[in-house]
Amino acid sequence: MALVSGPGRGGSGGGHTLPEELHLYIDKHVHYIQTLDTRKDEYEYWLTEHLRLNGLYWGLTALHLLGRPDVLKREEVLDFVFSCMHEDGGFGAAPGHDAHMLYTASAVQILATLDAFGDLETRVCGGRMRIGQFIASLQDRKTGTIHGDKYGEPDTRFIACAFMALSLLCLLPIINVPLSIRYIQSCANPDGGYGSSPGAESHSGQIFACLSALSIANALRTVNTDRLAGWLSERQITSGPGVGGLNGRPEKKEDVCYSWWVLSSLAMLSRRHWVDGEALKRFILSCQDEVNGGISDRPGDMVDVFHTVFGVAGLSLLGYEGLEEVDPVYCMPRSITRRILGK
Amino acid sequence: MLEKMAKYSNAEEWADIVPIPQDDGPGQPLAAIAYSDDYVEAMSYLRAVMANNEMSERALHLTEDIIRMNPAHYTVWLYRSRILFATSSSLPAEITWLNTIALKYQKNYQIWHHRHTIVDALNSCTGEQDFLSQMFELDMKNYHVWSYRQWLVKRFDLWEGKGELEAVESILERDVRNNSAWNHRWYLVFGRGESCFEDKERVRREVDYAKEAIHLAPQNQSPWNYIRGLIRQTKGPAALSLASFKQFASEFASLDDPDNVTSSHALDLLAEILAEREGDAADAAKALDLLAKKYDPIRENYWKYRKSLLVGQGGVKAAA
Ligand SMILES: [Zn+2]
Repeated sequence: MALVSGPGRGGSGGGHTLPEELHLYIDKHVHYIQTLDTRKDEYEYWLTEHLRLNGLYWGLTALHLLGRPDVLKREEVLDFVFSCMHEDGGFGAAPGHDAHMLYTASAVQILATLDAFGDLETRVCGGRMRIGQFIASLQDRKTGTIHGDKYGEPDTRFIACAFMALSLLCLLPIINVPLSIRYIQSCANPDGGYGSSPGAESHSGQIFACLSALSIANALRTVNTDRLAGWLSERQITSGPGVGGLNGRPEKKEDVCYSWWVLSSLAMLSRRHWVDGEALKRFILSCQDEVNGGISDRPGDMVDVFHTVFGVAGLSLLGYEGLEEVDPVYCMPRSITRRILGK
Repeated sequence: MLEKMAKYSNAEEWADIVPIPQDDGPGQPLAAIAYSDDYVEAMSYLRAVMANNEMSERALHLTEDIIRMNPAHYTVWLYRSRILFATSSSLPAEITWLNTIALKYQKNYQIWHHRHTIVDALNSCTGEQDFLSQMFELDMKNYHVWSYRQWLVKRFDLWEGKGELEAVESILERDVRNNSAWNHRWYLVFGRGESCFEDKERVRREVDYAKEAIHLAPQNQSPWNYIRGLIRQTKGPAALSLASFKQFASEFASLDDPDNVTSSHALDLLAEILAEREGDAADAAKALDLLAKKYDPIRENYWKYRKSLLVGQGGVKAAA
């Protein structure tokens, strides 16, 4: 899936004024995602190769949430996913790229979404266990943190990636879950939020990651719910052009992707109603390119598949009519996580 | 396409290498692409040298060339650091080169992971603080840079007397709303262990600093959060009570003058203080109503919830 941005811009940046009554241009977005891979003649297509497997997950998830799960050809998607797999069970962003936690999680999410764990075993002998062992090898047995790859670089995001992938593979117990939970707790800040490592500034993306991992491990009781949810609800912009949108940190600009991370975090804490859902809906809808499809980070900027999936997922979480329900923990269709996890 | 290539295929130095073209996996036809020929060519040579695990000067130059075109290609960075160590290349020279790349590609995080690896191996942080100041000139809230800075503090023991606190203060002087700087301050002052929270002198200094910042910009949430953190975490001889901030909060939010509240955060803190005492519950409710209706209506549901805690708990318990 190409990560090329544009060509269109979200909202009024396209040179036309937005209609009074905003709605989601489902067919336009489907078409936008569908045609991303035909844009190989653009330099940016190749410069974003290091994100290709993530991009495939974003595009596929968006299509499922938009109610068009069959747009991408299953066999072609699987061919690409397996071409990114390494001997050791990890996945790289594209063929020839090193294995990394971020892409391994995307690969497992794609396989889960396509009900392809059977294909995994057929194509790769002992594939499921191999992936599990790759992930387990990245856990620091002293601190519980999870590294992105064999070269180090710990980040709370990778704990979420590991927990998501392992739980979907029904392999969570092969790592030391309580140790990772303790590590996440050590990243809690006085404001109730979490950062990328102990002491690092609270950041909505990292908070999503920590809450996702804690939800999967059934450990949300370790969170100071009211304090964190209070901080998250303060992320909503109350005035100016970005009103209704959510930001990632205090005094930062609103952004569709942060809107998802904040909203899904609040949903995991059962506090979704602590932000103004109608205002947020309007903000996300105003970031659409209503001519060519796609959603941008904020009105006036170029659209891309990353903000498209998080915009659609945010609307789904807000109960937007006509969208499939999203699972706030996995950012995947709820029907799929329910099928796999049985809950 | 090959005939368009020049830089590597025409070079004597690379004559022994057979470039490996792009293969985007099965099912992905090799498109006839019109994208940058330089990048295509460099990548095809990279695949070839990586396949041989070549550790050489020329491979190092090749990674530099590719990183300049596409610094987000994480595999190139990993390969580069392996070459650096295998060939015992100059690490200070690497840092100098890295500076130009970091200033050019601010959003890239591979650069910072790489820097971390190199500086750790160098075992010296000389010049790092100066370089970080340059980075902050471009973006004072860059998350990667702040995370790296915290690592430096811990790795090289820069907690005190090494210019860190001064650096934070100078950033806050320019932008008192920079939450990243406030976070770094907290990390410096309290990050070394629990005993810091019992240090009366230290805590008093921090309270004064936060109060002064609030006077400059009452609606800035960072110093208010800082004060709340202090109230919660200080202990022993340095312990601070919530009630001791009543007068300070009232400077910015008074129930006697509900039309002239200058800080919703002050009103929030005042509500929490009032909620502590059963007799003040009605006033706490008044403060929370003001927030829900007038000063922060977008979060109406949150303030209602806070109010429900007052009633539900017999008027004695505030939200955490
Ligand atoms: Zn964004």
